[in-house]
Amino acid sequence: MKRHELIVIGAGPAGLSAAIEAAKAGIDVVVFDENARPGGQLFKQIHKFFGSKEHHAKERGFRIGEDLLKEAEEVGVRVELNSTVMGIYENKEVTVRNGDEVDHYKADKILIATGAAENMIPFKGWDTPGVIGAGAAQALMNLQGVQPGSKILMVGSGNVGLVVSLQLLQAGCEVVAVIDAAPRVGGYGVHAAKVARTGVPFYLSHTIVEAKGGDRVKSAVIAEVDNHFQPIPGTEKELDVDTICIAVGLSPMSQLASNATCDMALMPKKGGNVAILNEYGETSIPGIYCAGDVAGIEEASSAMIQGRRVADHVALSLGYLTHDEFEQKYDNATAALNQLRQGMFSPANKGRTDLTVTDEGYPLSMSLLKKGYMTEAELKAFPAAQNSAPGIHPVIECTQNIPCNPCQDACKFDCIKVGADIVKLPEINTESKCTGCGMCVASCSGQAIFLINEDYEPGYATVSLPYEFLPLPKKGDKGKALGRDGSPVCDAEIVSVRSAPAMDKTQILTMKIPLEYVHAARFYKA
Amino acid sequence: MEKRTADVIIIGGGIMGCSTAYRLAKEGVDVLVLEQKEIGNGGSCRNAGGVRQSARNPKELQLAMYAVANVWPTLSDELEVNTEYHQKGNLRLGLTESDIKVLENHTAKSTKVGLDVKMISGDEAREICPYMSKEVIAASWCPTDGHANPLKTTLGFYRKALQYGATFITGVKVLGLKKVKGRCTTVVTDDGEYVGNNVLLCAGYYSRAIANTVGIDAPVERQFNEVVVTEACPEMFDVMIGVAGGEFYGHQSEHGSFVLGGNSGLQAFTSNNDKFVTNSLTAPTISRGIIKYFPALKDVKIIRTWSGHYDQCIDVLPIIDNIPEVPGLTVAFGFSGHGFGIAPAVSIALKELIMEGESSTIDISQLSYDRFKAKG
Amino acid sequence: MSKIVRTQKKEPFVPQPDDDMIICRCEEITKGEIRKAVYDGMTTMNEVKRWLRSGMGLCQGQTCQRLVQNIIARELNESPAEVGMIQGRAPVRPVEILTFSNNKTDVKEDE
Repeated sequence: MKRHELIVIGAGPAGLSAAIEAAKAGIDVVVFDENARPGGQLFKQIHKFFGSKEHHAKERGFRIGEDLLKEAEEVGVRVELNSTVMGIYENKEVTVRNGDEVDHYKADKILIATGAAENMIPFKGWDTPGVIGAGAAQALMNLQGVQPGSKILMVGSGNVGLVVSLQLLQAGCEVVAVIDAAPRVGGYGVHAAKVARTGVPFYLSHTIVEAKGGDRVKSAVIAEVDNHFQPIPGTEKELDVDTICIAVGLSPMSQLASNATCDMALMPKKGGNVAILNEYGETSIPGIYCAGDVAGIEEASSAMIQGRRVADHVALSLGYLTHDEFEQKYDNATAALNQLRQGMFSPANKGRTDLTVTDEGYPLSMSLLKKGYMTEAELKAFPAAQNSAPGIHPVIECTQNIPCNPCQDACKFDCIKVGADIVKLPEINTESKCTGCGMCVASCSGQAIFLINEDYEPGYATVSLPYEFLPLPKKGDKGKALGRDGSPVCDAEIVSVRSAPAMDKTQILTMKIPLEYVHAARFYKA
Repeated sequence: MEKRTADVIIIGGGIMGCSTAYRLAKEGVDVLVLEQKEIGNGGSCRNAGGVRQSARNPKELQLAMYAVANVWPTLSDELEVNTEYHQKGNLRLGLTESDIKVLENHTAKSTKVGLDVKMISGDEAREICPYMSKEVIAASWCPTDGHANPLKTTLGFYRKALQYGATFITGVKVLGLKKVKGRCTTVVTDDGEYVGNNVLLCAGYYSRAIANTVGIDAPVERQFNEVVVTEACPEMFDVMIGVAGGEFYGHQSEHGSFVLGGNSGLQAFTSNNDKFVTNSLTAPTISRGIIKYFPALKDVKIIRTWSGHYDQCIDVLPIIDNIPEVPGLTVAFGFSGHGFGIAPAVSIALKELIMEGESSTIDISQLSYDRFKAKG
Repeated sequence: MSKIVRTQKKEPFVPQPDDDMIICRCEEITKGEIRKAVYDGMTTMNEVKRWLRSGMGLCQGQTCQRLVQNIIARELNESPAEVGMIQGRAPVRPVEILTFSNNKTDVKEDE
């Protein structure tokens, strides 16, 4: 029986990061993954991540996956694909199915990094073909190049629901509505705003009551819910859709931890049934660890840090790190993790609906939380959104405390400042001279930065906005400028379309519009 | 007021406890069942569902024959639950000459006490169950044997007992028994004392430690087995299967899954068996056994494996008795891995032991507690 | 498991309009069946599973476990954490009997 110092189960962000860190420390490590390719969910993530540089912020998920794989190869991590871990037995024995054989391995330490599975909600007809998980829809689009449907209802307004809605739009599908039983949009406001400005309506405090059609979804019935999440009779609406995407959260795939007889608990803030972990990510069975979504649902960026931190603890206990070396690494990782675990979307604030102001004391936009977009009146409370410097200059419609700061790094002219506390809202230094380079616009993962020029031509202004749709408009194209809610506000003419390798496929459209609409127009439709 | 007293306190919410609670409650007896974990958590829900008379020791065969003749055929109606009882016979298969000797020996003993069981050839066995390997050269055949669903049956008894007014308290661990004024009336738990006129101890392997607290012991130890459960398949056979070589046993359930038990001999050495962990080598061992006898099952998928332990008595027979030394205490344990099929009859005997002082319907005299004690 | 006192409920079982909704898709168990099981005295995940087969199918409860926990908890007016969870069992993915038998570490020689 082969024995390794560390067996990592799952080659997603947590598992790969742990394996890389372990291999760097000199640990004999192997990674098993049941899939044909490594990377976990990273390769279907085509959007830019949040956080700061050390968290791979503004990188697209699949590129982070490519980087991890490259690094894993460089440091000699062995990743065994198509290798399904079947069970964890006593004394850290692991059985692995590979083709038509089963291999038994032993390990000094085991890291379970098996990720999560999508939740489902039951409703009449939820087993009708055409009802699919949002993650499955994402895999169809971004891995297989297949549209999951043409007219789609998104159930769930968490980040997964919002990100996948945008990707569905990018893939050419129509998103008929985003609904959520909660009274507030669950995901980042900036993600919601990207979807809302294309014209997708949000129905909060609404649930799905039925998928109609029998052998194939032909329509969906939604209804408003009361305070107990029960549908209110008489509020039903029937939506013409052929696909219903369910994005109601993820559950840790913790069966292996349970199988290994780790102490388990149902922890709703962590997304479901999880192993009880100590501060190093170790379960009740010494030497068996969990990291990433299986330890509690979070972002890939946290998963990577958790994975590294587990590897450091493994390195300490196997003698590859001194106590001091470990302490330093542990403190750094914990600080990086804590940076991500701040703000109104932090695990500690999960499910809270009582927050009314930002850390800075600005009133949170209720329209953003209810409809997915901000009103002009609400934006007045946010200085960075009210920048009216002469000539071209940024306005930043970033109004919730999300741990993220690439905008600060993007501006070479120190025009934008977030500060050391990356959860703070960005501020604009009006003394600095904006050159209109657009790097801030392209680097904002929330696509919340716009460049406006109120002095473009007499009576006309320009608005430069991030754009990730095809077909790409061309200079000289004429169409409509849309408001934050997606409704047409005025005529618009494209005066420039820019992209640069550093912008990583985010195009910057500059549209010319009548001056009076400069604070209203935020999207372009041909 | 929380219930603390009853006519009869039953220790153990397995099939023995549930079925006896049902029979007593039906007679109007006030019953309280104490269970450490959940209903049917031990061997009652961790067995392969055999309702078998063949290959039993004649000393307990009366219980099996009574259950098959008088209880099982109508039990689903009685409990108003589908117990999935199928009386399509039991084949015990042999591959070698020494297997045949084992089978012949059992068959001869059972025939002597009136059981319809006989030796048949490999080809005759294949007529009954066509998916069997050509390597099977002989089998014992008991057409009145069968199988049922232990989960539905155990919980069915539980539900019926509730309906007749029994109380069950789970999550309470029995620490011991106490004699008060010469009679075993008091059950000491981690939740205080419970008091009855009679105490029935039927807690499987755990019975021994509890009995020890009133100076009663029996040569019973834990034995571990594991079961593999497959995905649902179209109906292939409806007989209960055993093999003389002991590699596996089990049946195809009504649901379509195969429920097949066995062991590698190593389960007893896993250290964490209160959590019912499986051994990494047992399921492969069972799998090899299955393929040897039923190659047609090779592509069927196993979807889970689980382990359980039973209370193996030194003579592989249960102890079902009123304990003369400790008036008020009735015991039923040591079922040695084949208690499920006889439980519906055991509970009749237990009801009579408790209510009338002796088992008049079924002869259980050979299953007495004092068979391990010095005479006189 | 904490202490639970179980007796037959006095009031009759009250059906709900969405009782026919499938909850466990692998085994086609409905919400009403789960509610009735709780009414009949099954008060934990394991008991409901043993009684109905919910969570015993191909996915081993990955999809329905949380839903079943919530339904049981609601019927009992308890928190879902109280009703327990399904024990994870090997193999965590379905594996053919032949493959299972092809493990490379033998325990005893075939005779």
